[in-house]
Amino acid sequence: MKTFTILFLCCFSVLGFSQNNQLFEEANALYNDSKYAEAIDKYESILNGSKHSTELYFNLGNANYKLNNIAPSIYYFEKALQLNPNDKDTLNNLAFAQNMTIDAIDKVPEVGFSRILKNVVNTFNSDTWAKISIAGVFVFVLLFLMYHFSYTSSKKRIAFVISVFSLIVACFSIAMAFQKEGLNKKDNPAIVFAQESRVKADPNQTSEEVFRLHEGTKIQVLEAYEDWNKIQLSDNSIGWIPSKDIKVLKSF
Amino acid sequence: MKALKQISILFLILATSIVSAQVKFEAKVSKKKLGINERLRIDFEMNKDGDNFVPPNFKGFDVVGGPNTSVSNSWANGKRSYSKTYSYFLSPQKRGKFTIKQATIEIDGETYKTFPISINVTAAVDKPNANPDAADIASDNIHLVAEVSKGNPYLNEAITVVYKLYVSPETGVSNWREKDNPRFNDFWSQNIEIKGLNIQKGLYKGEDYRYVILRKTVLYPQKTGKLKLEPLVLDITVEVPTNRYDIFGRPLMTKVPKIVTAGSRTIDVKPLPVQNKPSDFKGAVGDFSLKVSTTKSQLNATESLQAKIQVSGRGNLKLFEIPKLTVPSSLEVYEPEHKENVRTNLNGMQGSISDTYTIVPQYKGKYPVPTISFSYFDLKTESYKRITSDEIIIDVLQGPTAVNNSDNTTASSAKQAVNPNTNTFAFIKTASNWTSISTKPFFKSTGFWSLLLLPFLTIPLAIVIRKKKDERDADIQGNRIRKADRLAKKYLGAAKKALGKKEAFYLALEKALHNYLKAKLNIETSDFNKEKIETILKDRQVDHDVVLDFISILENCELARYTPITQVTMQNDYDKAAKTISLIDKQLR
Repeated sequence: MKTFTILFLCCFSVLGFSQNNQLFEEANALYNDSKYAEAIDKYESILNGSKHSTELYFNLGNANYKLNNIAPSIYYFEKALQLNPNDKDTLNNLAFAQNMTIDAIDKVPEVGFSRILKNVVNTFNSDTWAKISIAGVFVFVLLFLMYHFSYTSSKKRIAFVISVFSLIVACFSIAMAFQKEGLNKKDNPAIVFAQESRVKADPNQTSEEVFRLHEGTKIQVLEAYEDWNKIQLSDNSIGWIPSKDIKVLKSF
Repeated sequence: MKALKQISILFLILATSIVSAQVKFEAKVSKKKLGINERLRIDFEMNKDGDNFVPPNFKGFDVVGGPNTSVSNSWANGKRSYSKTYSYFLSPQKRGKFTIKQATIEIDGETYKTFPISINVTAAVDKPNANPDAADIASDNIHLVAEVSKGNPYLNEAITVVYKLYVSPETGVSNWREKDNPRFNDFWSQNIEIKGLNIQKGLYKGEDYRYVILRKTVLYPQKTGKLKLEPLVLDITVEVPTNRYDIFGRPLMTKVPKIVTAGSRTIDVKPLPVQNKPSDFKGAVGDFSLKVSTTKSQLNATESLQAKIQVSGRGNLKLFEIPKLTVPSSLEVYEPEHKENVRTNLNGMQGSISDTYTIVPQYKGKYPVPTISFSYFDLKTESYKRITSDEIIIDVLQGPTAVNNSDNTTASSAKQAVNPNTNTFAFIKTASNWTSISTKPFFKSTGFWSLLLLPFLTIPLAIVIRKKKDERDADIQGNRIRKADRLAKKYLGAAKKALGKKEAFYLALEKALHNYLKAKLNIETSDFNKEKIETILKDRQVDHDVVLDFISILENCELARYTPITQVTMQNDYDKAAKTISLIDKQLR
């Protein structure tokens, strides 16, 4: 009975996959016929089925770009990059989409040690770091036992050195995993969807305007209060923006 | 009755006007305003002789002289002109306003009446009955007036000031110049040029005057509250008639210099309403339209195009800023060129102002020019209005691409790194790997922690196991016992199972012993007798006692088939067999 249900579930999931593929191909055909709005509807219906992929987000970004929807196209390209940070096509088309934006914000460059650290942390995601640390621990345990039980001193020496090295690797990657998770938690990017939004000094309408943002600009959300979000730009300027004007990239 | 009277008067007037060509009967006073110590002369003049002259009741006046009658009869160019005058000299009784009522006369059987005349009697004057001097006459007959179109305009609403010089028919102006040009502080002002002075006829305080428009100015108040208009001051030369006449009977004129000013006026400027004031309001008041256009919508990179923002209409065009153009930061935009095409007339400024931006795209792609909104205050509806332009897309067809080569986790970096290899907008992807949107992170899951820490537990475990093993290897006596146990288990297993069942037990035991010997001593089953076993075991240096024990067990096995055997004996035999086997195994060389 159990095997039967598993088999059934497998069949079902395959069915679901094939349905998504069918929708995806239909949407692609619509896109190629320049029916971008219909294509977007189809793509989004796949998203509603709680399945996603880099390619889906990439295609959504493309279709929105063709319709001159600045903010949605940048939003979906960024989504695609979240799943696959080094996709060349996505980076290329994102550059096209970012040409449409109005705001030019300087980036405060990170220098010295913190930049090196960040680069190292960002080479893998936290799960990969975790897997590396587990592999390191396994190697360490095996080699340590080898060291413990082997009789010849040369063997002992090699096993000891390698085991200590792998232990260090394991510890380092755990630290990196924690670091990466912390960065991920802090990293809460959002895209400005309103055509023009006034960023205020305090989270209320009457307060002073600090600066203005335009559609498609990427910002970091620091905290939320009522209907307002505290945001930070890449040049480190800070302000409060109405929540309805932005869309957060992390949906989970 | 009164109505009837009025109607009859009306008819009478009509009738007199019809026949006025023939008959004229008028009352003339020497002055309409006099001091109480002055005298007044009133003449009733007619151009045809009449009868039954009835003077009015001079109420409020004393008749000090008259009636004097004078008749003049003259012929000129064969035409006769006749006039007869009754004159009275009157002295006012008190100050105030009096009306000299109608006088009547019958001419050719018709009754004619004069118009009533009102006389103003004022306080006593210094020079009673003196001829007024020229300056007084001038000041009475020359007036400079500033006419303001609206006394309480909104801020930045156009108002006009027209300066008119009124001159009465009796006097003339021979020369004028502006002595002080009014400055309009807190106003934006513009003079409207007047080509030539045009003499027009008009009324000033109900009397016939001629007037000249000297100056027209359009003003835009720039401040709210009560603002004062400085007066215009003119230095004029007035020609005033004197009582003397030249030989042709024309009055001689004297020239009097005079300074006239238009009284200063105060204008109350209302502020624009604060309510519903749009945030992008920059002070435009009037009626406007907005146009945003580009010269091209498609072009190649590094070519240029012009974007023009034009505000046209009526209002304070020169007094507000045109909304700024915002374009994507990746477009190169130069400072705008400002153009004004504004005419000013009495209604205010009209025309258009525009800013022209030159834009040079650097990279391929589409660039939207966002909508531009422009707010103004509409004076007709007294409300704010907003016009919004359409969004324009600039499509750059060819050129280098801007590629963003930042990694996504650390925000976006330099926008305009050029990548010459991929200069097209990439096509969509046609195949997809689906993953679930809700994924559980592996890091920090229980699986992760157990995989990370359990390997460490294996270290002490392995060490302990190894230690146990070493200990056992070191324990020789124990090892022997364990070995024998193992032997017994190996060979006597079947026998042990059959323990209790006599036949089966001994068969198994015998078979086990034979098997043991076969395995250890390589003896064939065919030559298997006790003697041979004994010699072989002895050759292998097994103790005599042990050999005897072994043999005795074998004998027991044979014997047991025919004799009753108890459970206890069976157990003894089994133990003995086990012990013997292990002893043999130990001593075997």
